[in-house]
Amino acid sequence: MIRIENLSVHFGSAVAVHNVSLSVEGGESFGLVGESGSGKSTVLRTVMGLNRQWTGDIHIGDIDLRKARRRDLVRVAQMVFQDPYASLHPRYTIGQAIAEPMLINRMSDVDARTVELLEMIGLTAAHRFRFPHELSGGQRQRVAIARALSLSPEVLLLDEPTSALDVSVQAEILNLLNRLRRELNLTFVIVSHDLAVISYMCDRLMVMQNARAVETLTRAQLRAGDMQHDYTRTLFRASHRDRAGAGASAEAVRHG
Amino acid sequence: MSQTLVTVENLRIAFAGEGGTMIEAVKGVSFEVGREKLGIVGESGSGKSLSSRALMGVLPEHARVSADVMSFAGIDLLSASPRVRRQLRGNRMGMILQDPKFSLNPVMRVGKQIAEAIRLGARSLPSAKVRQKVLEVLEAVHIRAPERVYDLYPHELSGGMGQRVMIAMMVVREPELLIADEPTSALDVTVQVQVLEIMDELVRRRGMGLVFISHDLNLVSRFCDRVLVMYAGRIVETLDARRMHEAVHPYTRGLLACLPAIDGPLTPLPTLARDASWGEARL
Amino acid sequence: MTAINLTHAETRRQLRRARLGEFTKFARRFAGNPLGMIGLAILGVLLASAVFAPLLATHDPYLPDLVHRLSPPSFENWLGTDELGRDIFSRILYGARLTLLIVGLVVATSAPIGLIIGAVAGTSGGWVDAVFMRITDVFLAVPKLLLALAFVAALGPGIVNAALAITLTAWPPYARLARAEALIVRDSDYVNAVRLAGGSEFRIVLRHIMPMCLSSVIVRMTLDMAGIILTAAGLGFIGLGAQPPLPEWGAMISTGRKFIFDQWWVATMPGLAIFIVSLGFNLLGDAMRDLLDPHLRRRA
Ligand SMILES: Nc1ncnc2c1ncn2[C@@H]1O[C@H](COP(=O)(O)OP(=O)(O)OP(=O)(O)O)[C@@H](O)[C@H]1O
Ligand SMILES: Nc1ncnc2c1ncn2[C@@H]1O[C@H](COP(=O)(O)OP(=O)(O)OP(=O)(O)O)[C@@H](O)[C@H]1O
Ligand SMILES: [Mg+2]
Ligand SMILES: [Mg+2]
Repeated sequence: MIRIENLSVHFGSAVAVHNVSLSVEGGESFGLVGESGSGKSTVLRTVMGLNRQWTGDIHIGDIDLRKARRRDLVRVAQMVFQDPYASLHPRYTIGQAIAEPMLINRMSDVDARTVELLEMIGLTAAHRFRFPHELSGGQRQRVAIARALSLSPEVLLLDEPTSALDVSVQAEILNLLNRLRRELNLTFVIVSHDLAVISYMCDRLMVMQNARAVETLTRAQLRAGDMQHDYTRTLFRASHRDRAGAGASAEAVRHG
Repeated sequence: MSQTLVTVENLRIAFAGEGGTMIEAVKGVSFEVGREKLGIVGESGSGKSLSSRALMGVLPEHARVSADVMSFAGIDLLSASPRVRRQLRGNRMGMILQDPKFSLNPVMRVGKQIAEAIRLGARSLPSAKVRQKVLEVLEAVHIRAPERVYDLYPHELSGGMGQRVMIAMMVVREPELLIADEPTSALDVTVQVQVLEIMDELVRRRGMGLVFISHDLNLVSRFCDRVLVMYAGRIVETLDARRMHEAVHPYTRGLLACLPAIDGPLTPLPTLARDASWGEARL
Repeated sequence: MTAINLTHAETRRQLRRARLGEFTKFARRFAGNPLGMIGLAILGVLLASAVFAPLLATHDPYLPDLVHRLSPPSFENWLGTDELGRDIFSRILYGARLTLLIVGLVVATSAPIGLIIGAVAGTSGGWVDAVFMRITDVFLAVPKLLLALAFVAALGPGIVNAALAITLTAWPPYARLARAEALIVRDSDYVNAVRLAGGSEFRIVLRHIMPMCLSSVIVRMTLDMAGIILTAAGLGFIGLGAQPPLPEWGAMISTGRKFIFDQWWVATMPGLAIFIVSLGFNLLGDAMRDLLDPHLRRRA
């Protein structure tokens, strides 16, 4: 569904992404993890056509990104941006923000669908008339997810979709995403720094460090700790050490 | 750990709702902060950010705030003049907002902004020294290529870099109280550990008080001393961070149960059946 | 899912209420600024005198009364009379209409022009930006009054021509401001989200970028209004603006100039009117800047 070959992105003289290749099957869920600043968001933004300066090949479905016009991409792929505070227009209400893509694409029943989407992400119809500054960080992030879902795209790129959510809402959103993926056969690319989320959501994952892809793992490899690169190992160990804390408490709560 | 830095009693924050009614977003929150690391966790939209912004005095003007007591280091914040509060914000209290980039000036290079923060503390430092210091602190928060980042504008930073720049700006000021609203939510575990080390050092060495808001239960239980759990505008439970498993409130226990694990099952995650009574009584 | 059955009209109404709520918040914050309120009051008085001039005026502003020419302020003529015996108070009231007309004309033309040029230039970048901004620079480089003078001289004097001439000199700063704002906004994620949804660049500029440029343009505009009034008066003063017998304040000062030592009120009263009104606009503009300027607000 997504095929990236030798993608490099430069900002001025700085290299943000160096020679990254990956491919994601239709219906697959693919994870991107890695150091902060290693180029994960840049990869997603480039795939969505938001960066102009890049080299390599990107195909989404049978669209060649170099030749594609933005309109071709609209129903195929959508993205949820990383920063929930920057992704909603301050002068539009939540309802307008969610409805805008549907209005642009002349869909019918926009009002009803807006309410449906809001309820899907755990907000209420009344939230439609709030402005972004009247919502908490997590509520905004959920609105951004609803907006991306509004056009029912086949591919969803999610940049840290749950980093501003508490674990209970996170669980609901992850379940929702999984359900949608199953029902609509969606393809996901998920960026997260939380290995547990990645391991729960993704069939395969790629680890990035310093603008480069250091390795690609399957879920089974991740769970077994079967990895080659030092950075990945450090990540894995650190995530496991975590479980001495609340993770252990979680076990206790679950089993006790 | 015993000296109290902040006392808040019965803090309430309300907004005008439809048709002249008031909607309470924070419904009587009381807590104390000593020279310790106090974690706040809780439901999205439960009032964590609002409570801490009230403490800093940076709520939107139309918010109605009331409290029985709200004091910082013996200063009564409720009766303090706007000027005093501004001065406090400038020196003794610091806050890392949940949205790091919003608090940065979008048209000024980040290096310059950190330099400004340093100059506030040490006016006479020559500019070469200041630059040196900025680069040091960027390195301290583990930013690769600090020389390059010095010259970037806020919108050119990655999510995690923005958070670390904010942390750097607060850390150089060495405030007595630091409120950090999800300061590390975009950082991977390895960097997170190293950045938290810096804050931890300020608490140990300078006796700073740290209020640490986070969704990451693992992190909070490892890093903080005490944890407040908020739900629907109230504090439902206060816990010793290392004894999260002794939580008794059903919300807290539910939270812990929702935590995905690296090797957990792939069945749908358990979710909370929220009970209306959680929002009412305080256990 | 009961709420889905909300009718379209109901949605509209609630949306309007939400917007109104935002406006009330703004109004309340504005009310907390005493100087701004004074400015608003002055503007209110100006508006009222323009609208109700026929009711408020004690005399016909155009009717000469040579018997009472150049009489000092008195119970009969509150602010005195001019060289043709016309009542200055009434003339100032009617002059408010002209002042508002000029300010209105200038603002209604220059702000949209500047806003559109700036927003389009900032959003598209590249050669469009370069061309638009060079044009702006050219206009900025020529001294304002000189440009206005040349323009009026070419088109002939008159109120509308004066307003056009001022517009010609007033739009470039708005374009600059709008462009600066557009540059910040155009790469933000909320604008990118519209792009991803397939929104045309036209829609993006019009509906998503311009609203963000609006507040700094409005602030600048209110601050500029005082200047517009002064320029209009200046043109009137040198005889290139409103033509006699129109009671334009600048022209009134100009005729009163001859009697400044013996009949001081003839020139002073319209001068005071100009002074008070431009003070009002300045106070208003300062208050708006405190409330609206995105950069000041961010630092609060
Ligand atoms: N518009 C830009 N101009 C210049 N440099 C940029 C720009 N956008 C991103 N970068 C740089 O590219 C690099 C990668 O950024 P990116 O946002 O992709 O990181 P990331 O992997 O998403 O990190 P994080 O986990 O912290 O969000 C960073 O060094 C960043 O400074
Ligand atoms: N200006 C406002 N007007 C009206 N309601 C508001 C305003 N600001 C916040 N709220 C509401 O108050 C509640 C608490 O918000 P707050 O930002 O404190 O949540 P939070 O606990 O920080 O959540 P998160 O973890 O998602 O950031 C939310 O339900 C939010 O919608
Ligand atoms: Mg990122
Ligand atoms: Mg918050």
